[in-house]
Amino acid sequence: MIAHVAWRLSRRAAMNLWRAPLPSLVSVLTISLALFIGASFVLGLFAARALLTSWGAQASVTLYLDKETTDEQARGLLQKVVAQSPDLEVVYVDRALALKRLRTELGDLSGALDGLSQNPLPPSLEVTPKSALPPAGVRMLAAQLGQLPGVAEVDYGREWLDKLEALARGLRVFGAGALFTVLGAALLVVANTIRLAVYARRDEIEIMKLVGATDGYVRAPFLLEGALQGLIGAALALGGVVAVQKWLLPGATQAFAFAAGIRAPNLTPAHGAALLGAGAVVGLFGSWLAVARFLRT
Amino acid sequence: MIQLFHVKKAYPGDAPVLDDVTLRIEKGEFVWLTGPSGAGKSTLLKLLFCAETPTSGQILVGGRNIVRLSQGGIPFLRRNIGVVFQDFKLLDNRTVVENVGYALEVLGASDAEIRERSLKRLDQVGLKHKAASLPQRLSGGEQQRVAIARALVNEPTILLADEPTGNLDPGLTDSILQLLFDANARGTTVIVATHDRTLLTRYHKRTIALASGKVVFDA
Repeated sequence: MIAHVAWRLSRRAAMNLWRAPLPSLVSVLTISLALFIGASFVLGLFAARALLTSWGAQASVTLYLDKETTDEQARGLLQKVVAQSPDLEVVYVDRALALKRLRTELGDLSGALDGLSQNPLPPSLEVTPKSALPPAGVRMLAAQLGQLPGVAEVDYGREWLDKLEALARGLRVFGAGALFTVLGAALLVVANTIRLAVYARRDEIEIMKLVGATDGYVRAPFLLEGALQGLIGAALALGGVVAVQKWLLPGATQAFAFAAGIRAPNLTPAHGAALLGAGAVVGLFGSWLAVARFLRT
Repeated sequence: MIQLFHVKKAYPGDAPVLDDVTLRIEKGEFVWLTGPSGAGKSTLLKLLFCAETPTSGQILVGGRNIVRLSQGGIPFLRRNIGVVFQDFKLLDNRTVVENVGYALEVLGASDAEIRERSLKRLDQVGLKHKAASLPQRLSGGEQQRVAIARALVNEPTILLADEPTGNLDPGLTDSILQLLFDANARGTTVIVATHDRTLLTRYHKRTIALASGKVVFDA
């Protein structure tokens, strides 16, 4: 019994879509547009996160050692760091090299250093992660390395990392807000479109209820209709995202120097399924809202 | 069996549509419900199939207090009640047999069973040959016969008819009423609301008369 009732309701939902192609098309296109924008936001966020991570990875951690540290002690410390964390690149900068670098950086003003009776600069270890680390990872690394014996001070470009983190946080909040706004708008449009369809079939609904149809039975074809519209809309959006990724993004990333080397995240079957699922949920929920309001009245 | 105890129905700001109505209708009875327009006939029928709820009082249908029925229970009550309206309430975009079968669809019957039982009912009302027609192509009398077939297709224990002959030529009235008498003869309790007093004199059945929402005659 359940099978043929389900089949009958599905058939009716498909027939309803077929009988009112224009409102259905409006719903499908709205869902499609909303999901396309939403998916683009999400993918944009992934790409922005990758970009921020790559910027964060450029920041190295400098460990300033006690001035009394000997070359031998400093190299011992270097070995210790490398042994503990093979994914770090560590360069020892002795006091002489540090002074030489300072002279180079000062350029014409380097003469001011000639008056110094002794080299005031401490030896240091420059630690760079081999693979990209998010800002939080760099901060944690700095805290760990700061615990090592002989380390007097740690510099990891804290202000820069704080700004990066704030930027990433802002992007996340903005992205989530924009995504919900777009999906919410799609939901309302779908609800309104389905409500028109429900209103157009009010006589049918009245008779259905008169002959003993439950609210669930009345609701089911509309829900299926909404879910179907959502799925078709999501499939269109997915096609749009794939097309943009394949043909538009490669050119765009080449056009901007700062984005060079940054790749848009690959679309996996899971991403596609999530998008289709989101479409079905938006369509289903929109229909539910429309029919619930009608059944209440 | 149908019982009403001190039933009142009033809308805010208006005089009560039904006022302290108490009556009892036995299983298998045929009852005329009469009175002038606005007497409360349609409202009383609506209360019986839960399209309205009383302001006060209790209504028992088959021993069940339908005033206390939850929203979820109403469809199941309606599956035992066939309703016929003056304006037929047929779906214009469905064929005659589909209109009749609608009442069986919600019960979860198979397509074959729906068709078989619908055709059988259409045969009983003399319209089997019009099964594939759309309602608009039928006369008023034929449309009302389709509506009666739909109301009876799932063999309800109660049949409510609200002015079933109100839109029909006098010549068609007898044939429509005969279908209701036939249903009653098969054991269905039938309540027919009408303001046409000639029917009451032609067909002597129990008559309940309402005036200004009160029962003024019951015999």
